[in-house]
Amino acid sequence: MIENFSRIVLANSYLLFSGLLTTLQVCAAGFLFGIVFGLAACLIRLYVPILRYVAIAYVEFCRSTPMVVQLLWVNYVWPDMFGFPRTVVGAGIIALGLQSSGYLAETFRSGIEGMVSGQREAAMALGMSPSQTMRRITMPQVTLDMAPSLINQLAVIIKSSTLISVIAVPDLMFQALRLVDRSLEPIEILSTTALLYIAVIFAISFSAKKVADRFRSKYGLAIPH
Amino acid sequence: MQTLQALQEALDPRLFWEYRSILLKGLLYNVLIFALAALGATVIGFFVGTARLSSSRPARMFASAYTEFFRNVPEYVLLVWIYYVMPVIVSKAFGTRIAFDPVPVAIATLAITYSGYLSETFRAGILAVPRSNIDAGMSVGMSRWLILKRIILPQAIRRMLPESINQYVSLFKSTSFVSLISIEDIMYRVSMITIQEARPLPLYTWAALVFCAIIIAGTQVAQRLSDSWRRRGWA
Repeated sequence: MIENFSRIVLANSYLLFSGLLTTLQVCAAGFLFGIVFGLAACLIRLYVPILRYVAIAYVEFCRSTPMVVQLLWVNYVWPDMFGFPRTVVGAGIIALGLQSSGYLAETFRSGIEGMVSGQREAAMALGMSPSQTMRRITMPQVTLDMAPSLINQLAVIIKSSTLISVIAVPDLMFQALRLVDRSLEPIEILSTTALLYIAVIFAISFSAKKVADRFRSKYGLAIPH
Repeated sequence: MQTLQALQEALDPRLFWEYRSILLKGLLYNVLIFALAALGATVIGFFVGTARLSSSRPARMFASAYTEFFRNVPEYVLLVWIYYVMPVIVSKAFGTRIAFDPVPVAIATLAITYSGYLSETFRAGILAVPRSNIDAGMSVGMSRWLILKRIILPQAIRRMLPESINQYVSLFKSTSFVSLISIEDIMYRVSMITIQEARPLPLYTWAALVFCAIIIAGTQVAQRLSDSWRRRGWA
């Protein structure tokens, strides 16, 4: 068992680590994409009446299509339709971003709607413009309140990212499955892979919990739960 | 211009419609796997969720370790692990060569993963029942089991319904990746037809739209039903 482990896993550890690095990079990019588009969809839904239903349709579509379906759709349909993405990594990033932007839009919306309206009124009474109110009053509180859910969404993205191996993005899962094909030793490789994923995801969920506790004790939260 | 043409091609339903009976058979796999996995996840989730509130310390520790573990492990990794690693371990242990059928593996994987999420929902639902209700049950001489059945569960289930509908929706979405261990579900068939027809645009676009429609419609129906049921039983 231990001999096998060092022969198969340690000898190929650089492959697994390069895969893990790809996973983390793709997830970080997808997360950023998700935040930008999620925030945009949420703000459009709340403050741009003409485009409201477009934003709702976008959010509902992103939330109601499974990750695999979106991934294959982006990978095979988008290049012909929009001329991008040109690489599988790009397709993986966009699919992860789409999926999470739907959830993040709802997270942001519940944060903004949950904020006490008295605060907005107070800002208005002081003569702040709507955009100033947004920047100085609403967003700082919403960000603070949403930070734990945001970090949790990153954990969700890493979980979904295991699927991007399907379109041959060289992430951790892809490297692991390729190693299994080559060595025909699934036990050591797949168990190590599972442990690596669990370690990363645990670390992220744990830090989300820590951040939530810290914010609660340090700032107190203006938004009632 | 090219974009418009591609869009028109992508939204053309004829090819997708031509293969409807094949695709519907695939969808049956999704529904079957969903139904059995949902049942399994609910049963396991119930036991684990109540174990987390039990008075026995080992039971509590086991249950929270179970929940934490399966909420954090990616489903696809677990699926692949059970599908490829378990047969090897079992074969070595019994000295025979066996292979697992993919459908039960998929059902078991999804049931185990979602039981982690559901146990958390069960726990929250049970905790939300006021302590005084339980005391009242005890004061009229009900047994623990009777209190659970008549006082805690009816209230807890009503409270957990909205949250658990979300979990079941995610579970249904997750059934789309069973195609990766070569179960002939709808996505597997879409990929096969794409290889044959070499027209990915309409096929994948319609697959996405159909999934989206099924999930939105299913969620709406489930929410309506649960809302009316909750109102009826709520004092």
